Amino acid sequence: MDHLGERLSALIDGELGAAEHERALIHLAKCEPCRFEADMMRRLKRRLTGLGEPEPDLDFMGRLMARPGMDSPFGAGAPLGSSRPLGGFPEEPTRKAPERREPRTSPERYVPVRRPEDGGSVRSPYFSGGRYAVAGLAVATALLGSAFVAGGENPDNAPVVEPRLSDYAVEHAVTSRQIPVVDPATDPVVAWPAGIPRTSERASDPNETTR
Amino acid sequence: MRRGGTRSAISSLVVALCVLLGSAATHPDASEVPAEGGDGGMTVLRGAAEADGRVAYTAVRGLRGPQGTLAVRVVSRPGEGLAMAPLGAEEQPFVVRSSSALETLDESLLAMLEHTYRVVEAEPEELDGRSAKVVEARRADDTVAGRFWVDEATDLLLGRDVYDPAGDPSFSSRLTELRLGDRGWPEDTLGDEPWGDALDHTEREELRSEGWTLPEHLTWNLRLVDARSTHHEEHRVVHTVYSDGLSQISVFAQRGKLGEEHLSADQNGYVGTGTGGGGVTTGHETIFGGDVGQYQSMWQANGFVYTLLADAPADLASSAVTALPGPEGSSGFWSRVQRGLSRLGLV
Repeated sequence: MDHLGERLSALIDGELGAAEHERALIHLAKCEPCRFEADMMRRLKRRLTGLGEPEPDLDFMGRLMARPGMDSPFGAGAPLGSSRPLGGFPEEPTRKAPERREPRTSPERYVPVRRPEDGGSVRSPYFSGGRYAVAGLAVATALLGSAFVAGGENPDNAPVVEPRLSDYAVEHAVTSRQIPVVDPATDPVVAWPAGIPRTSERASDPNETTR
Repeated sequence: MRRGGTRSAISSLVVALCVLLGSAATHPDASEVPAEGGDGGMTVLRGAAEADGRVAYTAVRGLRGPQGTLAVRVVSRPGEGLAMAPLGAEEQPFVVRSSSALETLDESLLAMLEHTYRVVEAEPEELDGRSAKVVEARRADDTVAGRFWVDEATDLLLGRDVYDPAGDPSFSSRLTELRLGDRGWPEDTLGDEPWGDALDHTEREELRSEGWTLPEHLTWNLRLVDARSTHHEEHRVVHTVYSDGLSQISVFAQRGKLGEEHLSADQNGYVGTGTGGGGVTTGHETIFGGDVGQYQSMWQANGFVYTLLADAPADLASSAVTALPGPEGSSGFWSRVQRGLSRLGLV
């Protein structure tokens, strides 16, 4: 019994005519080696086809195909990333499931998108409310943690300063056109600006207050 | 009958509400800004500001605050400045040089007065034997917040009172023994001017983006009227002036922290000055300089040291301090988180 030989690959590729196709199938039913070889060729073809078409990110595809009225994923739509927030739109009843445009051969992942006409929710299980809760909790925890760390005591590298109260008093006196004064109970005269000699020492010198 | 009674009660309630609302509409809150009404008195006050830069005079300025009085000899020389020395003192006088910065500040203060209060001219009075025009700054509830006396003959400002919300005078200034001419001007004194580096809006925004807290608005009636900076030992110091048109509050801010070798922190971790600027207080809202009323306060917060000097009623100065970043004191979890959020610019 002659084996199928090169006709086997033509059979796998669907290139045989109807009569030839029928004869080849009859032969496969009776010939174990040809059946084994045909099976191997089909597997190999699937594998090669799968390598030739990379699996796109499901979320990416979902966002592209979910655009209403968008025929081409590369049409004049909104920029990538702006069409849908992370996690998808919780309420989008008019969105349709993405349609496959090219024959995709196995292996491929099944995306369980339920359609409105099926009577179920259109929300993908990938974007369920639980994920929102977890994401929110994570963000809140990170924010509180960052704030707690940032709210610590002054960093040690902050310089120790001695504000020049006497200079400040002069600046304030200039802008308010007044003379800064001290407690008349302790000293009846003005709190004289720095650098100007005084006739008496005050009981409490405001210049010392910066230390 | 019951239905009639209910209807009557509802009608009474509606009438009462209308009366209440009408009363509220006709008696606005004192802190309502701006106070409604004309500002006819501003012409008199602007004339006084103009006269201050035109008329040479010598006088005694008497100051009265909540804790005492002070008499200062003043000599004004247009184009040169204002010399002040305590009466009877032998030291060199303190001279405020005339400058465009001060002229601009005067305009801002007048604009702030006009914005915050209703400024009206009242019946003229005599002050120290001189006829004076009287101008009142009235709050939204028509209570008097400030009163000015302007000399009929020279247009110079003879007197000024600032009143607290209860109507009691907080600060009072009187010009007595007025003589025209600048005899007694201290020729050898150089004098002082405001710090030269004025900060415009863009520069203030840049500083804010670098973490500086420079509010444009402290409380309902305290707004920023001037901002300038200088450097002390290569550290920038920013001076912001807030005013309602009657009182002035200076806030000095600089990066850093206070040394604790002389300023020990209290139990709450507060680091700052106490009464009179010495020691440490448990809060930062009540620090009196112990003078005729100047308010002094210094504290550190968020990597900055703040110093506040004010010639203002205690409640106004206190509200200004409270409006600024609070002192680092509380070490509780939420206080620390709130401080962190503030430092991160999120609140």
